[in-house]
Amino acid sequence: MTWGSGRSREWLKDLFTFGLAALLLVCLSYALPRLMPGDFVTAMFASSHVTLSQEQESEARAYFQKEEGFPGYLLRLLSLDWGRSYALGQPVSSLIFQALPWTLLLAGGAHLLASLLGFVTGVEAAWRRNSPRERALVGLATVLEGVPEMALAAVLLALLAFQLHWLPSAGAQTPYAEFSFGERLADTARHLALPLATLVLAYFPGNFLLARNSMVMVLGEEFILTARAKGLPDWRVRYHHAARNALLPVVTRFGLRLAFMVTGVVVVETIFSYPGLGTLLFNAIRSRDLPLIQGVVLFSSMAVLAVNMGLEILYARIDPRARNAH
Amino acid sequence: MHIEVKTVLGKDKWFLSGASLATILALLSLLGPHAVPFDPQDMSFEPFARPSWEHPLGVNDAGQDILSELVHALGNSLCFGVFVGALGLLLGVGLGLAAGWFGGMAGRVIMSSADVFMAIPSVMVLILVAALLMPSATVLALVLVGLSWSTTAKAVRAQSLSLRGQLHVRASAHMGGSALYVISRHLIPEMFPLYLIGFVAKARMAIFMEASLAFLGLFDPGRKSLGGMIQYALRYYYMDVWWNWLAPAVACLSLAIMAAGFLAISLEKVLDPRLRSRWG
Repeated sequence: MTWGSGRSREWLKDLFTFGLAALLLVCLSYALPRLMPGDFVTAMFASSHVTLSQEQESEARAYFQKEEGFPGYLLRLLSLDWGRSYALGQPVSSLIFQALPWTLLLAGGAHLLASLLGFVTGVEAAWRRNSPRERALVGLATVLEGVPEMALAAVLLALLAFQLHWLPSAGAQTPYAEFSFGERLADTARHLALPLATLVLAYFPGNFLLARNSMVMVLGEEFILTARAKGLPDWRVRYHHAARNALLPVVTRFGLRLAFMVTGVVVVETIFSYPGLGTLLFNAIRSRDLPLIQGVVLFSSMAVLAVNMGLEILYARIDPRARNAH
Repeated sequence: MHIEVKTVLGKDKWFLSGASLATILALLSLLGPHAVPFDPQDMSFEPFARPSWEHPLGVNDAGQDILSELVHALGNSLCFGVFVGALGLLLGVGLGLAAGWFGGMAGRVIMSSADVFMAIPSVMVLILVAALLMPSATVLALVLVGLSWSTTAKAVRAQSLSLRGQLHVRASAHMGGSALYVISRHLIPEMFPLYLIGFVAKARMAIFMEASLAFLGLFDPGRKSLGGMIQYALRYYYMDVWWNWLAPAVACLSLAIMAAGFLAISLEKVLDPRLRSRWG
């Protein structure tokens, strides 16, 4: 049972790393408003689009200058009391939880589609490597990898929404329309199509190239030769023997790409006015709505950290080498 | 890590296309500001004027010449990328070498903090700092440097650990070479390919981040930026601004990120010979 303790130690180390990262972010969001010289509220709102009433101003002063101390701040965060948005007047937590499902639908859907598509095409491409079509596909993916989300979004928007009028350019649903359930679903899907396509196109090349390269490496291993020598059918060698082993680097690199992906979601949601966390954050930035900015930033960073930690644990589980290494 | 960097790269078409793209963009951003006749802040032209001989790309909503705006914006984006890439690399190499050579408690602390910094989503920190403190682009670049050293530090540490055990490095130390001598004579030069790839990857990330932050309106609005241009052009999507305003900014940004991406791919091949023959 020696590896059992090693694994739990590894697990504790992950917990420590991510806990420290979370603490650092909370400290930052606690300290930044308090680090500023002078009167924070006047400085921030003198040049903003938001005009505060007397009551709001004193509330803002109380919010930022009340010396609640770090433990109090932490407690407030944990009890989902994240203050009130200045521009919208609603509690920050309810705004975030209203926007969250849209972001999960968009980003989660795009990630799922792009990973699945990227992995399968990557595996198939590696199998046919150095054929003219495969070379063309690798070249195309490499070029596409260089196109950022905002460029893709602008091109798709120009083409599909404004030139061809196939798809709506903004929003997540047609407002005030009286739809049956089926129509509502179709309408939501039509609104989702453009932002989703943008994100899938942005995420796909990375997944594809990664899957292809790791599959190419695996195909050079001797156990693949053995499997083929046994006379196993091609698809069985490809998926049961090779692709399973090619999956690992794709999963481990995901954590590194996550930060890019989050940035992309914010930009794409903004361009298509999709009512998720990204648009909420963009509007908060534009109106200098500080509690909302702080709330969205902290919430999304915590979500990213949680996903990253989950992956780290998953990685230790799916990689037999990582399991036996300790 | 004895790799004939030059001979491998010289024949690689991704490297050649990436390097030529980067050179063209760098020349454009260096010479452009002297070649265009207008100051990008000059607001004295007719807003939304169509492209003409005087204004090859037309005029934007604020009455500024779009071509001058474009070359200045490109320069700012590339500058940001090179700055973050170079400083992030320096910090990463320094900390990685320290952790790898000296090891011990300091090494463990450095590596643990590298893990912590790798987990933090840098864009969120940048947004928070930019929105609350409204700092200059340089300060934001420095924040990004502070957040982006960890990958290089980990790679450099791993490599220097393996180098430290090799015969020629041990011989050099037994000969009486000081730590400084061994590090500067053997460790630093041998890890050369790591620096290239670290720099390019960081510069690419920084250009992407700069564009995204500018798009979100987090930079000083007077500072020209490709992301900012795209944001403003998209606000007037219902007008005929697609080809003369949006497309050039979109193309420049994509080409800049692409150039860095091509270079990164070819350098990865150099670092990992297993990929070399199979990439095509």
